Amino acid sequence: MNHCNRFRPTPVNRRELLQRFGSGFGLTALASLMHDPAYGSEARQDLNADPRAGMANHGLHHPAKAISVIFLYMDGGPSHVDTFDPKPMLDKFNGKDPSEFFKVEATQFNNNGKMLASPWKFQQYGECGLPVSDLFPNVARCADDLCLVRSMVSEFPEHTFANYFLHTGSGLQGRPSMGAWITYGLGSVNQNLPGFVVVNGGLVPPGGLDCFGSGFLPASYQGSVFKPNGTAVANVQPLEKSAERQRSKLDFINELDRLASDQFGTNDGIESAIRNYELASQMQTAIPELMAIEGETKATQSMYGLDAAYEPTRIFATECLMARRLVERGVRFIELTCPSVSGDRWDQHANLKEGHENNARAVDQPIAALLKDLKQRGLLDQTLVVWAGEFGRTPFAQGANGRDHNPFGFTIWLAGGGVKSGTVYGQTDEWGYKAIEDRTEMHDLHATMLHLLGVDHTRSTFRFGGRDMRLTDVKGHVVHKLIG
Amino acid sequence: MLEIRIRLFQNSQIINAVTRFASVVLICLACTTVRSQDDQGEPSKSIVEQLEFFEKEIRPLLVEHCFECHSRKAGRIKAELLLDSRQGMLKGGDSGPAIVASNADESLLIQAVRYDAFEMPPKGKLPAKEIDALTKWIAMGAPWPAEIASTEGPAHDVFDLQDRKEKHWAWQPIQNPPRPPVVDQDWPKSAIDYFILSGLEEAGMRPANQADKASLVRRLFFDLIGLPPSPDQVQNYLANKSEDATKQLVDQLLESQHFGERWGRHWLDLVRYAESRGHEFDNDAPYAYQYRDYVIRALNADLPYDQLVREHIAGDLLKSPRLNLAENFNESILGTGFWHLGEWVHSPVDIRKDESDRFDNMIDVMSKAFLGVTLSCARCHDHKFDAISTEDYYSISGFLQSSDYREVAFESLEHNRNIGVQLLELDDKFREQVRPLLSRVAPTAFEEMSQHYPPQTIAARDPSLADCWIVDYATADTKEFLSDGQLFGNRPRRLGDFYLSTTNGTSKLAFSRFSAAVTDNFWNAIGKQEANSPNQKSRIAGLPRSGRTLRSPTFTLVNGSVQCRVQGQGHMVACVDSHRLLAGPLHGETVLAIPKADGYQWVTLDLNRYLGHRLHLEFTPAVESMLEVQLVVQGASPEQIKSIENSRAQLSNQVARCVQRIESAIQTDASVSAKLGEIAETWTKERTALQQQIRTTSRLAMAMVDGTSEDEHVLIRGNSSNPGQVVPRRFLSAIDGPAPMPIGTGSGRLQLAESINAPDNPLTPRVIVNRVWHHLMGRGIVATTDDFGVLGQRPSHPDLLDHLATKFLSEGRSIKKMIRYVVLSKSYQMDSRVNPAAMEIDPKNQYWHHHPQKRLEGETIRDALLSIAGRLDPTMNGPSIPVHLTSFMDGRGRPGKSGPQDGLNRRSIYLEVRRNFLSPMFVAFDTPTPFSSMGRRNVSNVPSQALILMNDPFLTELASAWGKRACNAIPMAEAQSPAARVNWMYLTAFAREASPLELNAAINFLEKHASQNALTVRDEALWEDFAHALVNKKEFIFQR
Repeated sequence: MNHCNRFRPTPVNRRELLQRFGSGFGLTALASLMHDPAYGSEARQDLNADPRAGMANHGLHHPAKAISVIFLYMDGGPSHVDTFDPKPMLDKFNGKDPSEFFKVEATQFNNNGKMLASPWKFQQYGECGLPVSDLFPNVARCADDLCLVRSMVSEFPEHTFANYFLHTGSGLQGRPSMGAWITYGLGSVNQNLPGFVVVNGGLVPPGGLDCFGSGFLPASYQGSVFKPNGTAVANVQPLEKSAERQRSKLDFINELDRLASDQFGTNDGIESAIRNYELASQMQTAIPELMAIEGETKATQSMYGLDAAYEPTRIFATECLMARRLVERGVRFIELTCPSVSGDRWDQHANLKEGHENNARAVDQPIAALLKDLKQRGLLDQTLVVWAGEFGRTPFAQGANGRDHNPFGFTIWLAGGGVKSGTVYGQTDEWGYKAIEDRTEMHDLHATMLHLLGVDHTRSTFRFGGRDMRLTDVKGHVVHKLIG
Repeated sequence: MLEIRIRLFQNSQIINAVTRFASVVLICLACTTVRSQDDQGEPSKSIVEQLEFFEKEIRPLLVEHCFECHSRKAGRIKAELLLDSRQGMLKGGDSGPAIVASNADESLLIQAVRYDAFEMPPKGKLPAKEIDALTKWIAMGAPWPAEIASTEGPAHDVFDLQDRKEKHWAWQPIQNPPRPPVVDQDWPKSAIDYFILSGLEEAGMRPANQADKASLVRRLFFDLIGLPPSPDQVQNYLANKSEDATKQLVDQLLESQHFGERWGRHWLDLVRYAESRGHEFDNDAPYAYQYRDYVIRALNADLPYDQLVREHIAGDLLKSPRLNLAENFNESILGTGFWHLGEWVHSPVDIRKDESDRFDNMIDVMSKAFLGVTLSCARCHDHKFDAISTEDYYSISGFLQSSDYREVAFESLEHNRNIGVQLLELDDKFREQVRPLLSRVAPTAFEEMSQHYPPQTIAARDPSLADCWIVDYATADTKEFLSDGQLFGNRPRRLGDFYLSTTNGTSKLAFSRFSAAVTDNFWNAIGKQEANSPNQKSRIAGLPRSGRTLRSPTFTLVNGSVQCRVQGQGHMVACVDSHRLLAGPLHGETVLAIPKADGYQWVTLDLNRYLGHRLHLEFTPAVESMLEVQLVVQGASPEQIKSIENSRAQLSNQVARCVQRIESAIQTDASVSAKLGEIAETWTKERTALQQQIRTTSRLAMAMVDGTSEDEHVLIRGNSSNPGQVVPRRFLSAIDGPAPMPIGTGSGRLQLAESINAPDNPLTPRVIVNRVWHHLMGRGIVATTDDFGVLGQRPSHPDLLDHLATKFLSEGRSIKKMIRYVVLSKSYQMDSRVNPAAMEIDPKNQYWHHHPQKRLEGETIRDALLSIAGRLDPTMNGPSIPVHLTSFMDGRGRPGKSGPQDGLNRRSIYLEVRRNFLSPMFVAFDTPTPFSSMGRRNVSNVPSQALILMNDPFLTELASAWGKRACNAIPMAEAQSPAARVNWMYLTAFAREASPLELNAAINFLEKHASQNALTVRDEALWEDFAHALVNKKEFIFQR
């Protein structure tokens, strides 16, 4: 597929832009913003020429490898030493005092126990021989599609900071989420669905819905929260008794809007608002179509786990299937949050074994199915799948059988979307405590994701509070070794 | 240490051996100092060997791992640190010298590669072998061959504050520009119009016509009070043919109580107003609504802007605070609540960083809201573009470091302070009566006792205690004796002081045997506090602290155990790095209940976690209990404690003996005894009478209070664990120069407020008049309302901006007058229809050739709907209506109970703002996330807006209510045309009647829709649908 034909760089003016792009979600907002001299690049030419500033309608800076992103957000911080980063030293020194071996940093609970061996065995999978623990038997079979980063670091050992950081590149509330930045930068291909969709399986991350917010970007870019059941979206269900009754109203509204425009003139804001009604009524059809997963074959449904015995698996299966269907519909950025399992999110301060098993059981089969399904449909190449929590967990115990937060080194993985498959990048020390080779920061991850989408992270900016803000702040390096 | 100086002579062999890098040719062999340490006295290795070691092991390592960021060839040198020369290493960077020659452990470079102090290189830890090599090399004295220091330094942008100031418009003084000449003398009405017209004429454009009165009345209603006019209000205005009709309307709107609600919401955007703390559990930000109500009242009262600023910055410090006219409480102090409306974190691992982030947000909001500058951009380095230095940032930070959070009992504050003053006078009066009697009856004993007053400090007697001392209330001066409220009086009670002691209703004269800060049971009735909000998990939120707390000076923790000698019952809280949201797994050790005991006891806080941090202690007695605090020390050994005990006991005994002598003397002198009895009786009576007047309950509000006066360190690169030099408190040096502010005691916030208000500060008036213009004219003269810096927009009409600022300053800084001035101009009253010719020249309306059409905010849309549906409850003030939680609003900290869907029909400004549970409707319509100043909201179009207006159950319910209301308001006889009702609805929603075409369309729709849905024109259901359609007509959410 030739991506470049689907996006055109820098339109001449907003009318032309609208003509070319119809009424994509981000673009109508962009159009109305361009009208405001406080934002637009045109304005800068008029009043305050400043070549440093950029504006989002930058199109692709270079050919993209991925069109869409599916972000599998593993809320709470899965333990890397129990999943994708085996550490035999933990077996060897199980029960020893960690401070005999390294300096133990301050932790969230300050209840540090002894060195704790992983309760799970690791086996090697795929041609690449990737070791994966028994928590992920299904994902493990996709080993040759995975690109592991075992040297992720975060700046924060607290959930909320770390969540904001992972999502927005800043530890504080109020910054635009990745999905918002990306749709702000590239718009969305789909005309009838938002460009940034969060399918909420039940667990909203600490920090709240603002993890998916648009921050200082226009509201158009905020993540639209879908549910993996029912009507999926708020207010998408008409309250009128019949579709005709609503249609009759909408036609009348259109007529009145036209009459008022004739009489009082119009502006871009009103035009865009009128257009919104078209989008909104299209959404009323598009959403039920999206949610019609009963039309999928029995085999597909089973592959994802829609018929699984465990309810959280069924929920996440629906989310993954929705993600594939959203990708097919050209939605730019899809984030899935975890379903609630008995115990807690991936945040096992105690009862590591039971808690991680439940969480893994919920997501393992659906994720593997998603990867396979995308692949067999030829979508994996153009879809970047990111599996990540906000941090990892300590190699030593919290209390007797839990693990505390560890931002100093942990594992995430990428798949599809132009990444180098079947590889491992970076490593933690022999304990799995700190990244010691190819340390990869959040900003690096973001820079690399944007790069794969055809965006130079240093050139996708929005002026706010006296700065040209970026997803990557003033940092971030594209990790070329992750790119295939 | 053995120091060897070796002069390397020119010797090509050696040179070849030691210079492996051809690029750095060693030609000039000047004196190179090579230090060599050898404690064992063994001869050091030959210098040649050392240099070889350097070239073989060290230099390649440096080149590979360090030079990318720390050499002259680096694109951008990080942390100002150069590692490509020995001098560079010794000089170091932001964090100080990189190496201490011969002392590897002390060298930052080694700490960094060991991943102790820093983690370098950032991409991964070096192999142990290389770390060892570096360690060894530094132990050798870091030998480095002499090289010609490269003179090709990197191109640094020199930060020249004066130069930047001179070059940027915003720092220049406000001028009073003359009215510009215009060709069309007939058009302008006020000076504003001359400035606007002159711009238009220069660009070859004409202003639009005057807006029709119907458009204008709706525009004025929304702009000034945020509600639509009722049909009667529209018709009255249309019928008023007087020349002053608009003036009258404007004055009436400015007097409306709704004015403060409308403009109050604009103001709340500037101060990131919210009622919860966000972060993980979204704890309540208690009593935030008191600040909101304060803002509404202040705007309605048209508080002069300088006073508004003063009260925000330092309302707690005013000599004569402004009192509420109706209820007499302290209004001024409520303004300071704005400082504390930010995000709070409940269990930060790095508590110091948390404080610096919190301060950063406070500085960010203050500087943007009042000054339109982005001071926060100077947190890590001098501002990249503006005339603001890092020192400026940390000098302002010092004001916060010297201040503190409190929940103030603002209703009783002034009243009880007054009683406190009277109590002091009363006690003094009786003491003066007692004193001569004692002196007469027992002259020697009384004099002897007086010798101990003021007593010597124990610390002075025992120098070994000097390091332990935090506060001794025997000697504490006014700087050290800090308290919230009157409970502890106005000074500590000293050894030998006599006072009236009341136990079980009987009073007698008593003598103090200790020096201590002591609660006076005169105030016992103060204790019960306003009920706590339900979503508050902070461990200290339930303690009755407001108006009842003694605060120690701020100190640095050098020993983890803090010991206090106390008597009574209550709590002590160690406030470390101003952290107060004690609701997580960490920091529980900072709160301690003082266990019940007889007499004085030592209580100890174990604060080992916080060594090196700054903190203070807060002591709060339990309700109706007494609490005495003698002294606070840290890290005193048992022997030292004993020594303190002994000397205290000794003093106490001395005094006791005196007291005994005095008391027996009194007993033997019947007349004195009787006289004293009489005094005690009257004293008691007067005290009791005064006590009756105490205001025992009070509402609470967030506010500032002064703490210990201190300056802040520059934090290098903004890193809280890397403090640099101390900078004295002062205002922006671009305005006030670099000299420290003369502060003396206290935080100095009052002086800061005066600098912000000073007539020669050009920012404050320009920023506020620009905000007024922005809200009325759709865009500021400076479009970036919160950023007047280099990256912001230049003013489109600089002379007009200065004209407005000058007028504002000369007319008492009245916001209402400024609004009135703008809306009565012809420029404001232009039609919103676009003239195609002008659009050709100025498509973005930079010159204001027409009035911009504006989309209403989400809050205003909701308020307008409530209003036309006849449902609006105009009640003002008070606790917010809890946020309505939909099934999409989930996550940690979700309140247990959802608020009512209709928000009790109150105006939107009275709906609760929870950071993690923001109203989906308002978020969709661009209500900002409350994290920073947002003087200009985004205006976006997103389908969820349409979906909300089409399908949201509450909004459709309101539309239906409006339809029903129309049916009642305009009854329709059989076979009567629906025109009258349609027109009434148009008047209600759009402040105009329907045009013939619209009327026609409406009638067609009503007929068709009725027949399609088996309804008749008499059915309310039909009119409910019609009403719903009108609400979705774009005109409803736009203002012409």
